[in-house]
Amino acid sequence: MLEFKQTRLLYASRPVLEFVNLIVAPGERYGLLGSSGAGKTSLLKMAAGIVLPTSGSCVNHYRRPALLFQEPRLLPWRTVRQNIEIPLRAMGLSKSDVQRRTSEWINRVELMPAADAWPGELSGGMAQRAALARAFALEPDLLLLDEPFSALDPALRATLSEMCSDYVRKSGAALVCSSHHPEELVRMVDCCLLISNGHIHRYDINAEDPTSSARTAHRLHQHLADKQAHTP
Amino acid sequence: MSLTVTAPQRTSRWWSLAGGVIILVAWHLAAKWMGPMMMATPFESLQAVPRLIASGHFLEHASASLMRIAIGVSIGCTIGFALGVLAGLSPQLRGLLEPLRWLLMAVPPVIVVVLAMLWFGLGSPMVIFMTILMMVPGMYVNTVKGMLQIDPQLNEMTRVYRFGFWRRLRHLYLPALTAPLTAALVIATAGGVRLVVMAEVLGAESGAGYALANARSTFDTAELYAWVLLILVLVAALEFLLLQPLQRRLSKWKEPSHA
Repeated sequence: MLEFKQTRLLYASRPVLEFVNLIVAPGERYGLLGSSGAGKTSLLKMAAGIVLPTSGSCVNHYRRPALLFQEPRLLPWRTVRQNIEIPLRAMGLSKSDVQRRTSEWINRVELMPAADAWPGELSGGMAQRAALARAFALEPDLLLLDEPFSALDPALRATLSEMCSDYVRKSGAALVCSSHHPEELVRMVDCCLLISNGHIHRYDINAEDPTSSARTAHRLHQHLADKQAHTP
Repeated sequence: MSLTVTAPQRTSRWWSLAGGVIILVAWHLAAKWMGPMMMATPFESLQAVPRLIASGHFLEHASASLMRIAIGVSIGCTIGFALGVLAGLSPQLRGLLEPLRWLLMAVPPVIVVVLAMLWFGLGSPMVIFMTILMMVPGMYVNTVKGMLQIDPQLNEMTRVYRFGFWRRLRHLYLPALTAPLTAALVIATAGGVRLVVMAEVLGAESGAGYALANARSTFDTAELYAWVLLILVLVAALEFLLLQPLQRRLSKWKEPSHA
């Protein structure tokens, strides 16, 4: 379980998140929306344990969280294969398990021909696929996605989003995913969280109602557009 | 972050050769002008090299110096590197070490030799101690600088994926520090040789520096310059046979590979 309790975060004494209360239980899927700088990345970084709240608490009980960043963040001096292997070894897996999982995920993201290439030789899409393989090879029980596909073309973005949804459905992992695109997000999650002025507003999606996602996306769009119109 | 790296133009070998020839010609002219008592010509020095090597004391002096260089430079660089990594991670430690770094960089090595002679007497412990002391700050400064330039995004990534300290050291810090560290090692090695020879001239009973001082006092100018030639060959060998291949091996990822 991931739990934010009265969590506040200030950056240079400017409030980013104000008294956030949120519980992400196993299997739950949350989407994060908000204009740039609203605090989506900060919330995900707190969940991953690399940013500490200014006050309140953020406790993560998941054992294998993985965060997929906006950029691939591959080690440029290690090959694609090594980039996937090293976090697995850090997890304490045996050598044969590390090799098996690495090969499996390199295959799944279709990077077999580039397995021994340096990250500097990959295209943006290939590098992000390698980063995805690195995250999924850990078999995470909490998947944190920070607009990981925003720089990719729409077709590849759809394929990789589908891969993430597929993994979450099959593994039962919890998901927190941020995005700029409400339509794409509502297809992946059960509930959207809109961050505005440091506060979180919930938009639940009714799985029984086939029109619920479209309506939620529409409402979110309107809210984001209003917000943009009111920003000086 | 751009991952594509364009290789800078390689140093021109022909121009390096020309630079070497200019030095030899200048040396030769200077020796002719000053006379054999003051300076041996390059050719006379070269002729004295086999004579020097064949003499009974050569091995004793050369091995004493090499041992001191190896111990002094490796311990000094290791301490400088280790402190640099830790200081790169901790602003408090960085602040704490700053006055010491300044002190060691500002104090003239000859003063350290004189003090070390007082504390350790003549011989190897004094030479090694002063070499270590003089090696540490250069390596430390380069390591800290490199640590502060490590991509914060990669740093975050290693924390998300729970790399321990040693894994971060091996897969993040060391590779990221390759360029500043190999440059620092080249400077440190050449500096180490110079320091050891100087300390030996001033206060040792063996070693290349001691033999140099001896040759000077017996006015054996050719032998003196033969020692200088051998020391230059040693520094060149360390740089071109050890450090440059190491640097190339560690920066393999910057070159396009087979894939």
